[in-house]
Amino acid sequence: MTTKHDLQSLASSIQAVASPFRTYLKNLHGKYRSLSGGAVADYIPELASADPNWFGICAVTVDGQVFDVGDCDQLFTIQSISKAFVYGLALEDHGRDYVWSKVSVEPTGEAFNSIILDEKTNRPYNPMVNAGAIATTDLIKGQGGTERLNRILAMFQRYTGRTLDINVPVFLSEKASGYRNRAIAYLMLNFGMLSDRMEETLDLYFQQCSIMVNGHDLAMMTATLANGGVNPITGERAIDERYVQDVISVMLTCGMYDYSGEWAYRVGMPAKSGVGGGVTAVVPQKLGIGVFSPPLDEKGNSVRGIQVCKDLARDFGLHLFNVAKPERDLTAWIDGDGAIDDW
Amino acid sequence: MPKVVSVHSYRGGTGKSNFTANLASTVALKGQRVGVVDTDIQSPGIHNLFGLEPETMGKTLNDYLWGRIPLEEAAYDVSANISLKGGGNLFLVPSSIKADDISRILSEGYDVKLLNDGFRQLVRGLKLDYLFIDTHPGLSKETFLTIAISHILVLILRPDKQDYQGTAVTVDVARQLKVRKMMLAVNKALNKMDFDALRQKVKAAYNAPVAGVFPLSEDIVQLASNGVFCLQYPIHPVSQEFRKVARQIMS
Repeated sequence: MTTKHDLQSLASSIQAVASPFRTYLKNLHGKYRSLSGGAVADYIPELASADPNWFGICAVTVDGQVFDVGDCDQLFTIQSISKAFVYGLALEDHGRDYVWSKVSVEPTGEAFNSIILDEKTNRPYNPMVNAGAIATTDLIKGQGGTERLNRILAMFQRYTGRTLDINVPVFLSEKASGYRNRAIAYLMLNFGMLSDRMEETLDLYFQQCSIMVNGHDLAMMTATLANGGVNPITGERAIDERYVQDVISVMLTCGMYDYSGEWAYRVGMPAKSGVGGGVTAVVPQKLGIGVFSPPLDEKGNSVRGIQVCKDLARDFGLHLFNVAKPERDLTAWIDGDGAIDDW
Repeated sequence: MPKVVSVHSYRGGTGKSNFTANLASTVALKGQRVGVVDTDIQSPGIHNLFGLEPETMGKTLNDYLWGRIPLEEAAYDVSANISLKGGGNLFLVPSSIKADDISRILSEGYDVKLLNDGFRQLVRGLKLDYLFIDTHPGLSKETFLTIAISHILVLILRPDKQDYQGTAVTVDVARQLKVRKMMLAVNKALNKMDFDALRQKVKAAYNAPVAGVFPLSEDIVQLASNGVFCLQYPIHPVSQEFRKVARQIMS
């Protein structure tokens, strides 16, 4: 990542610190910091050791301003959030029609790990449930597991603007205990929906879920989507602009597990969550949001992450279909309009 | 709405801390609740003017930056020390004068976001009407931050070439940071100078208002940072000039 060190860049970063929008986020952080409820994922020991008090909120605008509060540098595994972005890479590799012939885009209303396929076509319902995500990862091109993994890592690095690593213990634990995902893969193999490199694909799937990111990365990733696929800070393109809408659509309809319908209705920001405690949401043409807090509700979504997104959507009118004048004007709060009393 | 006033100078020795203490006290005399934060972590000093001795100094800004306390706990009500009248209050948040503490901040650095969050906590917690921020000379992260968050920026300069040049740099930075309101104060002007001509010259050079011109005063030097001049010599011309600047801050 190339960082500029001129007056304008420093001024911009300082203005973000001094912005009323950051003060808003700081107050939001204070409001939900003491929120109890939810439980840290514990199906593998590596996730169970997460501190339930970790809490970071980050937002990045399409012109590259960064606002962060709390634990935005704390690393955690990306888990299911990877699914949305790998789906974009599969689209680039094969185009819309072919990918659609392998994975549908219908919300299931079922839990993320359900073992169901479309009875007529044998396709998994969407790329956000485990079945669909494994079928999507199977589509990633490359000679062998290493090249395919490197292509996935390179893609995430274009989104985040920094080098990313795999958490090897998490990967090994996921692989060792992933019987259910293995069963899903065999079922799809049985129906001819998975290639004969199924084992390699499963490894790749467990690896993509074990990529370590932080709250800042999550906001950069959706800010890149919001910015039409170009990272707003590095200027590098992360995804073909034709497929940005595909990724955002499945996030809106299927991104929050079996809470997606209510999420679309109440929050209306396309989003994706992961059991590591991350939630990332996109406000097209405006900003990307990343929230990290490990305690999850019974559907597998970060408890604090949901509250933060709800408040942001309501206070700034960020619901995709909102037409009413919001309580606060996002641009004015970001730019520090003199009329805003944030003291 | 509370007002945040940052006092800066590009170079040291302009009398910045003295200026801040006098201006803050003059505003407090009008019955206002005033806070002063010494963000000059590398060379703190303003506590002397407010009669706060290192021996009696407990918590400081440093403790807040290290996450030990909320900033409010490092605020000292020094109103009685300076015999403040008129129902106002003056609170000071000092920086630590201990060499170990200064060294630690210098080697570890600190997150400038903390400073921003702390100022806001302090204003809310103490219900301040005004917050004055005294800074280290020159440009630094905290200079940038305090310029960006202030409602009013006061730049102090002496009538000499090095100060003129440096102030021009600071003015550029302040404009880049979209400063809300900026005013200049000329300090240590020789008494033989034509103060009005000086005011016009400075105003034209930076295209910004000149809030006050202060003479090089032997009377102030004599006080040797033992107390706030304006409160001890309220009818002195220097104190009158501070009242003029205070009116512009409060308008």
